Amino acid sequence: MGEGPGLTPVEYLDRFFDELRAEVRSNPVLAARLVKALGGNVVFEDAAKADVASPYALATGPKANFMSVFGAMKLGDIKKVLKENNLASRVDMNGKSAAQLVEMMYERAAMKVQERKSSMF
Amino acid sequence: MTALTAAIANLKGGVGKSTTTVMLADGLAFYYGMNVLVIDLDPQANSSQMLLTERGVQAASDQGKGVHHVLASFMEGKTPSAAPFIMPNAVTLEELRRAEENDERLGWISSLPSHPHLRLRELSLEEEWYSRSGTPTTLSDALARFFREAFEPLLPLYDVILLDCPPHLSPLARAGLLLADAFITPTIADSVSTWGTKQFSDWVGKFIAPDLPGRNFVVVTRFRDTKYARSVASDLREIYLKDRWFGPTIPESIHVLNAMDRAAPDSYDTFRGKYAGVSSDVRRLAERFTDFMTQRTGGTWAKVRD
Repeated sequence: MGEGPGLTPVEYLDRFFDELRAEVRSNPVLAARLVKALGGNVVFEDAAKADVASPYALATGPKANFMSVFGAMKLGDIKKVLKENNLASRVDMNGKSAAQLVEMMYERAAMKVQERKSSMF
Repeated sequence: MTALTAAIANLKGGVGKSTTTVMLADGLAFYYGMNVLVIDLDPQANSSQMLLTERGVQAASDQGKGVHHVLASFMEGKTPSAAPFIMPNAVTLEELRRAEENDERLGWISSLPSHPHLRLRELSLEEEWYSRSGTPTTLSDALARFFREAFEPLLPLYDVILLDCPPHLSPLARAGLLLADAFITPTIADSVSTWGTKQFSDWVGKFIAPDLPGRNFVVVTRFRDTKYARSVASDLREIYLKDRWFGPTIPESIHVLNAMDRAAPDSYDTFRGKYAGVSSDVRRLAERFTDFMTQRTGGTWAKVRD
């Protein structure tokens, strides 16, 4: 199974988790997915916010939390989140400031969540 | 001008009826400057949602717009009329909006939307109708007469009316099919869908349009380019539906899914922004269907945009 016949099961697992740790460090999207799968809360760091943060998930909570994640983003990253989450077209974003775009992001994400979330829960 | 009425229909669900409806409406309005009316007869209201958003569909219903309100006027014995129930602006393309703003309308889309309440209202109508010894057939015929009269004044106002039909033969769906000049059949390149096109074709040919082949425009949608899919699509064209008009094959693509998810009721996008990687497929769909319309009506349409 492995190239080292002397390795114990624990050593095999150590190697596996070392690889996983290395991947998680360099891949924030995977890291966020794994943490979510384990039921944990994802803490967003600046560099990874645009790739990891879901405006829909955050729009289900307090607006202040939403703003704390997206409000500090650079304009380019805000536009990326809006586009990748189908919350605004390029035409919609034209001529708007970062603050206006974040407000638009919150309103539209909250609206979609309200429209699409089952009222049974 | 008198509108060609085309029913987008297939007895099988999940074959891309609503998506084809919206792509065709956009393509005809954008490239040929056509005035398009989309009538959504499906209680799932998917094409209405794609054009107006969920919030827009609800707002339309709250304003008394929609097919379920037309049905209510039928049940109340009112004079047939559809115009008051239409949402005049179902445009999502920035180019069309901007041209309109400059008083240079070049292509437009209006919507007679659906709403999930449509099925409840239809059930209520059916219960009442059958309790008076009516049958599904007499109800379909009565609805078709009512709709024909209700839509008559609209025909000179539009180039094409697209009827997005549900994947079953409810009296309302049958009424829609009875009104159609042409039948657009979206299908998927797999064996169960091929069988579904046979069922649809046989039923419509027997009960609605004995001359179906010349009035049938087939679109293979959600196409995954595999050897199997190519073989099924080829068999459809060469064997099973060889006497029909075929539109372009629309690929399965994330661009299609994105294009159908309008960000908000006040969100507009350019044609290229909306359709991205499938822009040329939508253009070819519009071109091929315009050829089909010319063959059916003798009318001609020139492109207003490249």
